[in-house]
Amino acid sequence: MRVGVYFCNCGTNIAGKINPEQVKAQLRDMPEVDYFETCGFLCSEDGKRFLAEDIRSKEPDRVVIAACSPRDHEANFMRVLENAGLNPYLFQMANIREQVAWVTTDPERALSKGVSAIRSAIARVRLHEPLEKQKLDIVPDVLVIGAGPAGLKAALALAAADRRVVLVEKDPVIGGKPVRYEELFPAMECAPCMLEPLMGDVFHGEHADRVELLTQTEVVEVTGYYGNFIVKLRQQSRHVDPVQCIGCGECVAACPASAPNEFNCGMSERKGIDFPFAGALPYAPYLDHQTCTRKNRGDECRLCKDACPLGPDIIDLDAGELVKERNVGAIVVATGSGLYDCSALPNLGYGRLPDVYTSYEFERILSSTGPTGGELVTKEGKLPGSVAIIHCVGSLNETHRPYCSGVCCQYAFKFDHLLRSRFPDIRITHLYRQLVLPGKDGTSLYREAVTSHAVDLIRYENISDISLYSCNSGNGGTIISTGQQNKLNADLVILCTAMIAAPGADTLAEVLDVSRDRWGFFEELHGRLDAAQSKLKGVYLAGTCQAPMDIQQAMQQGMAAAGYVLAGLVPGRKLEIEPITAAVQTDRCGGCRVCVAVCPYKATGFDEESRKSAVNPVLCHGCGTCVAACPAGAMEGHHFTSAEITAELEEALG
Amino acid sequence: MMRHNVPADFEPKIIGFLCNWCSYAGADKAGTAQLAYPPNIHVVRVMCSGRVDPQFVLQAYHKGADGVLILACHPGDCHYKEGNYRTAQRNRLLKLLLGQFGIEEERCRFDYVSAGEGDRFARIVTEMVESLRLLGPFATNHHRKEA
Repeated sequence: MRVGVYFCNCGTNIAGKINPEQVKAQLRDMPEVDYFETCGFLCSEDGKRFLAEDIRSKEPDRVVIAACSPRDHEANFMRVLENAGLNPYLFQMANIREQVAWVTTDPERALSKGVSAIRSAIARVRLHEPLEKQKLDIVPDVLVIGAGPAGLKAALALAAADRRVVLVEKDPVIGGKPVRYEELFPAMECAPCMLEPLMGDVFHGEHADRVELLTQTEVVEVTGYYGNFIVKLRQQSRHVDPVQCIGCGECVAACPASAPNEFNCGMSERKGIDFPFAGALPYAPYLDHQTCTRKNRGDECRLCKDACPLGPDIIDLDAGELVKERNVGAIVVATGSGLYDCSALPNLGYGRLPDVYTSYEFERILSSTGPTGGELVTKEGKLPGSVAIIHCVGSLNETHRPYCSGVCCQYAFKFDHLLRSRFPDIRITHLYRQLVLPGKDGTSLYREAVTSHAVDLIRYENISDISLYSCNSGNGGTIISTGQQNKLNADLVILCTAMIAAPGADTLAEVLDVSRDRWGFFEELHGRLDAAQSKLKGVYLAGTCQAPMDIQQAMQQGMAAAGYVLAGLVPGRKLEIEPITAAVQTDRCGGCRVCVAVCPYKATGFDEESRKSAVNPVLCHGCGTCVAACPAGAMEGHHFTSAEITAELEEALG
Repeated sequence: MMRHNVPADFEPKIIGFLCNWCSYAGADKAGTAQLAYPPNIHVVRVMCSGRVDPQFVLQAYHKGADGVLILACHPGDCHYKEGNYRTAQRNRLLKLLLGQFGIEEERCRFDYVSAGEGDRFARIVTEMVESLRLLGPFATNHHRKEA
């Protein structure tokens, strides 16, 4: 074993404190040290050239570089080693600048600490094994789950970069929640108009041929891993060919069956075959076989099919669900969020009092595609004279959700703006726990509201202090008691509810094997660095499935997720797996599965057949937590083996 | 536990296990800020504090360390999400074990240092060196090298 030691003077940064000649003298008793070279600046272009040439000519078995922190130049030196024909892992740095020369006042003690660091590196490097990056073929195609703003943005960006995208949506309509709103904060932009170009591009944009949109589809099984997932998708039949259908609605008029329309929160009826709402895309009705009389009554009704002016081939009454399999390299989750269940706050009268709505219901009422065509009247049929908007419903409260959803205040003032412009004599009261109006445009609607004489703001301490009950005047309306405050009357009450994890997020998380946070949102890899990555490699997060956020942020996160995919999976390039991973020595593994329990990345699995653990190096991040946890010493961490670490500390303690 | 007869020239030896992403970077930060601290520590870099097998700590004492320092990312900051929580859990057990062996509490310190906390790193090392100076050598206290 021949170890070459390189001492970087780093100008005077190191050599000014630690004399290399004295270091050299103190390594003489280590027989494996073959040579000792010094260099002025090893990281300079000249220095790297010298290093490469020297290694090529002297052909050491191992290299130690005593220089700066490995966090500065380790990667650079590893590349030099590789180019010089030496495996880059047969190398160790001794950090004698940041952690010795710069922090030790006494030169004599700096010398001895520096020598100790170099000797420890030599002791360690002796045990280093050559490691190779594993190279795997990848599939560059992508599955995007959810066709709301975040999913659409991600899918289109990926398609524009020539990737094939499978875009699945569980509903028969795309555009997510915002497409069901009339106008958006902060600039009162028409929501469907804003989303139309994105949605249109999915069907007939420049890259539409690369986007396979599957509506009424859910992901039921995922196997494989980053670079090579096999996904199984279950698609309900629409029973209507969305490509040939011209959306004339003749079938809708003919249908005898009806049910509450879930796209209007049950506030209106829809037919058994119907559009979710006017303008919904894909522009074709869907047949809900739960409502259809063929399913209900087992009859042979075919009125819709007969009514179709394009002939009998457009509607297929007997189509069943399809299971499709796709091979993708990465998955973007963009499944959106849900709303906090207001029945957990019975004092607010939701479901008990007639004119108390959630914000989402109110959005639908305001929408021209909603249950009333955008007309706003109370249940008594009156125009509302007074409206109460209750903020922070289920938010900022330890018994409900302690977090702030970050968007409610802004849409509350949007409602305020819309109500005042529609009804000049209206009175509006905002009841809030906290006002949160972030962003450069965040306060525009608020500032307009507070300057209006029609608007009052009342701060409450606890949502449980508020109670709503019915006016007994016979004219409808609600009385709101706010604790110490006077009671107030409202013809209409809007509850701005907390954004929560979407229904079904639990099932999807299980299918994908990704973790969720304590609130049920999909858990990000890192809150600041990698909020668009899940903890499972190759599964990315976009939009409110990860955390409450507004449309702007959701769109950006969609782009971010696409960026991760494009940067990580490049056609023609193999996926390089860092060799610093854990590995099981199967002969020592007792099958206790402690390693499976501690792995934050689900990289350790258990093979039921052999009753042993196994590490998937594609998923392993190399933290070594499982290595320290293994009670049998069966888990080894490449490049940080127990023997290497022990050798280092033994030499340091001399 | 105060020890008598601590040699006047006693320089405690400390092995510090530092995670690559926060604490090791914090130690480097002390360097770039040129904050002097006693040179009694040898830093062993690990990718995550979760890699620190309690056996390493015992080996360090066995081979002559007077103190062992384990530094991790602050709670919630772990590069690997939860390695630092595992370390904290293990450290609680390790403390119990060391107590049963009669090893003084000051000889094993677990703390958090972020990448920006060069001053905190320097302070922790200084404090530990001072407390070990008072305590005396591990070998004397535990008669390890009697044979």
